[in-house]
Amino acid sequence: MKILVCIKQVPDMESRFKPAASGVWYDESDLAWRMNEYDEYAVEQAVQLREQLGEGCELTVLSIGPDRVGEAIKKALAMGCDRGVHVQDDAAATKDPWQIAAIIAAYAKDQGYDLIFTGMQSQDRGSAQVGVTVAEDLGYACATTLVGFAYDNGTVTAKRELEGGIKGVVKLTTPALVTCQLGLNVPRYPTLPNIMKAKKKEIQSIPVSELLKEEPLAATVSFHPPAKKGGGIVLEGEVGALVDQLMGILKEKTTVLR
Amino acid sequence: MIKDESTLNVMIETVQKFVKERLIPFEEQCSENDEIPHEIIDEMRELGLFGLSIPEEYDGLGLTLEEEISVVLELCQASPIFRSVIGTNVGIGALGIVIDGTEEQKKKYLPKLAAGEIIGSFALTEPDAGSDAASLRTSAVKDGDHYVLNGTKRFITNAPEASVFTVFARTNPEIKGAGGISAFLVEKGTPGLSLGKNEKKMGQWGGHVCDVILDNCRVPASAIIGEKEGVGFKTAMRVLDKSRTHIAAVCVGAATRILDEALKYAVERKQFNKPIAEFQLIQAMLADSKSEIYAARSMVLETARKYDLKKNISTESSCSKLFASEMVCRVADRAVQILGGSGYIRDYAVERFYRDVRLFRLYEGTSQIQQLIIARNMIKEVS
Amino acid sequence: MKALLIGEYREGKLLESSYELFGFAQQLGAETALLLVGSDSQLPAFGGTLYLADANQCGEYNPDLHKQLVLDAVQKENPDYVVFLHSSYGWDLAPRVAAKLKVAQVSEAIGLTDGGFEVGCCNAKMRRTVKPTTAKAVITIQAGAFPGLQPGGTPQVQKITASVESNVSFSGYEPAEAKDVDLTRAEVIVTAGRGVGKKENVPVIAALAKALGGELGASRPVVDAGWVEHSHQVGTTGQTVSPKLYIACGVSGAIQHLAGMKKSDFIVAINKDKDAPIGEVADVLVVADVLQFVPALTAKM
Ligand SMILES: Cc1cc2nc3c(=O)[nH]c(=O)nc-3n(C[C@H](O)[C@H](O)[C@H](O)COP(=O)(O)OP(=O)(O)OC[C@H]3O[C@@H](n4cnc5c(N)ncnc54)[C@H](O)[C@@H]3O)c2cc1C
Ligand SMILES: Cc1cc2nc3c(=O)[nH]c(=O)nc-3n(C[C@H](O)[C@H](O)[C@H](O)COP(=O)(O)OP(=O)(O)OC[C@H]3O[C@@H](n4cnc5c(N)ncnc54)[C@H](O)[C@@H]3O)c2cc1C
Ligand SMILES: Cc1cc2nc3c(=O)[nH]c(=O)nc-3n(C[C@H](O)[C@H](O)[C@H](O)COP(=O)(O)OP(=O)(O)OC[C@H]3O[C@@H](n4cnc5c(N)ncnc54)[C@H](O)[C@@H]3O)c2cc1C
Repeated sequence: MKILVCIKQVPDMESRFKPAASGVWYDESDLAWRMNEYDEYAVEQAVQLREQLGEGCELTVLSIGPDRVGEAIKKALAMGCDRGVHVQDDAAATKDPWQIAAIIAAYAKDQGYDLIFTGMQSQDRGSAQVGVTVAEDLGYACATTLVGFAYDNGTVTAKRELEGGIKGVVKLTTPALVTCQLGLNVPRYPTLPNIMKAKKKEIQSIPVSELLKEEPLAATVSFHPPAKKGGGIVLEGEVGALVDQLMGILKEKTTVLR
Repeated sequence: MIKDESTLNVMIETVQKFVKERLIPFEEQCSENDEIPHEIIDEMRELGLFGLSIPEEYDGLGLTLEEEISVVLELCQASPIFRSVIGTNVGIGALGIVIDGTEEQKKKYLPKLAAGEIIGSFALTEPDAGSDAASLRTSAVKDGDHYVLNGTKRFITNAPEASVFTVFARTNPEIKGAGGISAFLVEKGTPGLSLGKNEKKMGQWGGHVCDVILDNCRVPASAIIGEKEGVGFKTAMRVLDKSRTHIAAVCVGAATRILDEALKYAVERKQFNKPIAEFQLIQAMLADSKSEIYAARSMVLETARKYDLKKNISTESSCSKLFASEMVCRVADRAVQILGGSGYIRDYAVERFYRDVRLFRLYEGTSQIQQLIIARNMIKEVS
Repeated sequence: MKALLIGEYREGKLLESSYELFGFAQQLGAETALLLVGSDSQLPAFGGTLYLADANQCGEYNPDLHKQLVLDAVQKENPDYVVFLHSSYGWDLAPRVAAKLKVAQVSEAIGLTDGGFEVGCCNAKMRRTVKPTTAKAVITIQAGAFPGLQPGGTPQVQKITASVESNVSFSGYEPAEAKDVDLTRAEVIVTAGRGVGKKENVPVIAALAKALGGELGASRPVVDAGWVEHSHQVGTTGQTVSPKLYIACGVSGAIQHLAGMKKSDFIVAINKDKDAPIGEVADVLVVADVLQFVPALTAKM
């Protein structure tokens, strides 16, 4: 059994984001980097499956990006992945989801993975496209937004999180790809001794040029902060009228009223 | 010296996350109950924190001092009591064995200390021998292939939890000073070894300190660290050279957190129609604190690098400990001031830190003792 | 310009949010056709072409088959945009369609800017403007970002169906579990402050929270008085929260409270004191008595 888990390194979301000189993405200086939170769940699930299956199962972790993503790969290795693949790409941040998916698919296509795990989306770009697109490129069965996962003999039983906390139960036949949602499991901390041991695990480095043949399909033309909040509004008057005014404002300015 | 930067960064990220998710949310509770819940200690154990400084061949992480300090700077963003739990295994409670122990002693204790299966304590201070540790009176009298220990050790960190004590005792009553002292590894449960009641401390509630009483306590001769009489005080000083740098890092970590809390408050709190952070008198306190933290941090890292190059750091570690421990108390005092009345109220972490950090100027050599060491070393060099 | 809109059914019912697709299409200035996998017992109020597949036959979740249905409709309509809701259905299906068409996908659009789409990024702290470089594009729109719009009329129904091999099979729904409160994950928090007066009034506030699908929050005095459990407290000694909507009812806005909630996306304060400091962080300050205003608001939800 061969398993692949795809991870992305993203800035700590508590950071202050400033547009880079290019104006189309954030300035990367002074940021602390983390494994994309969704991907931590993906790695944890993959490692649990690896432990369930035991010997004869190989778990590979893949990440695309500049040198620093080596740290995210090491973290995944310390959590229990067997080997790493680092697709070297200093310009990964400028690639659209279509290209990122194409890189992963190009790497995975001849490897015979039975299962691929990804996060449901990245915290920084948040497009929720890469996993599904990889599955399409490879012709794998796919389900997104997993909050429950079980594997038995070539069949994945997945619980998808739907709106309002309802779950949809789905069965997939391998080869399959699933995208993982927060709360799927409790990602372990890589222990310090395991981080040390991870130094000895292999990380294969592949230049992105060997894998990417696709042009982007979409372009980011601007990266900017949201429009500033106007000063607060004060509503006074008769209760019935106030309720209507507030309803109007909430409908216009927030996304919580349906 | 940093052996592998990216591996260290992964460790730091892990510790940061652990501090944020598992330690800070519980620090107030631990302080209030004067107890760290077992689950948290288990998690610290699992994470491998007890083995930071113990060499890899004894199942520790074998971090260089610079690496250890980089981890400690993060760990100490949470209450210092969490560091205190691992503190003796990483520092004074294990270092005697690491530095001067026999191969057998290392094999027997270090893997367990590294795993946090057992806790080690360091018992030097006595009721009548604090700063003047070389005057200690605990006696160790040879009786066949055993020694019989008698005396009282005071303020021993983690003694209630410890399984093995590094006890300093006088094997040669003829030599009054340092030369008559040997270091023994005394295990919990040895007949004649008992504990006093836990002291009620000013701060660092959740970390425990008590007397260790030795009443005709018989230990085999093989329990002397290095199986060599009369070098115990040297061992103690070598242990302290290294661990003072560690304590200095603890101070820098705590100060960083305290300043964060003060800054957060200052930008939020409004008086006279503006955030108090806009007042220059507040800014001065913030800026002085920032500069002093930066200075202490640089000192600690520089000292650690020197240690990793196997150079003598007696002066530098005392300079770092002196400056950093005094610094963190100034920073804490300013933070209380910036918070105004709230800084005096328990709900704010600053109030707790203010009490917690006061200890750092006292143990592992008071500030005055650091001054003496520094000055003595200076004078020795010119004469 | 033409948009093929993909509406949603869940457990036999047309989801109201499907009408937001029309709100989006209107802003886009596009003609619309609608595709639904549902049933003809409940047709949308829309006078245009409706590609209707039978959910009993095609399943409510059957991505490989639904993808084929959409691709078939795209063939017939030749739309410029294929638009989904950014929902568990939409984000699952849209990339499959985009990949097969090999066209750009823009995820979770919240607005339109000259020729591009505004999307959130960095945990909604920042925005990007994205432009497809392909002739067609697949768009998913953020739930609630565009107003619901009922075009009215009766659809011209074109029944569609498809059959494809699939390695994905749907087994059914599981109901939501009752969970302990986790304010930090709530999208809406309605907080009871001391201004609610007494314990017996707390349910009034809780009812509004429930109507909004959110959680009940509380200021410290309310917790200290034993009106609400501590797990609901917001502030320095409680939780730090940043929901999409925070409604503070009878909360004065002390710094210790503000520290816990001022990062909320949108803040509404209901206070009888026009000068209450909560007004400084509130997007809307409603000057009213909570006990009169809140029940009236809840009734409108
Ligand atoms: C919470 C806590 C934990 C501790 N943990 C341990 C432990 O794990 N193991 C251990 O062995 N000890 C431990 N200690 C003891 C600690 O190291 C001593 O308290 C410290 O060395 C000071 O000794 P003392 O308390 O006897 O003070 P004293 O030595 O009596 O000093 C009193 C004052 O006199 C000053 N002074 C003393 N001599 C001089 C001088 N020559 N010139 C100028 N000033 C001088 C000191 O600086 C101090 O200000 C701990 C203490 C505390 C409070
Ligand atoms: C235990 C205790 C007992 C108390 N008892 C009483 C009592 O009996 N009666 C009573 O009325 N009050 C009492 N107080 C309140 C006390 O007087 C206030 O805490 C004090 O006045 C400071 O106000 P504050 O806490 O709001 O701090 P703030 O006014 O918010 O001050 C915060 C910080 O900002 C600084 N600051 C504020 N303005 C400026 C400025 N313009 N320029 C430079 N720096 C500035 C302050 O010096 C302080 O360092 C008590 C407080 C405590 C903690
Ligand atoms: C160390 C410390 C920590 C603290 N931690 C927290 C914390 O975590 N969380 C927290 O919330 N507080 C905390 N506090 C308390 C904080 O300072 C305030 O006291 C508290 O937030 C006030 O709660 P409140 O706004 O509900 O009550 P009040 O300040 O009493 O305000 C009640 C408000 O309700 C309005 N009102 C009254 N009746 C009505 C009505 N019928 N209709 C409409 N409006 C009405 C009033 O105009 C007033 O503005 C802390 C305080 C300290 C000192």
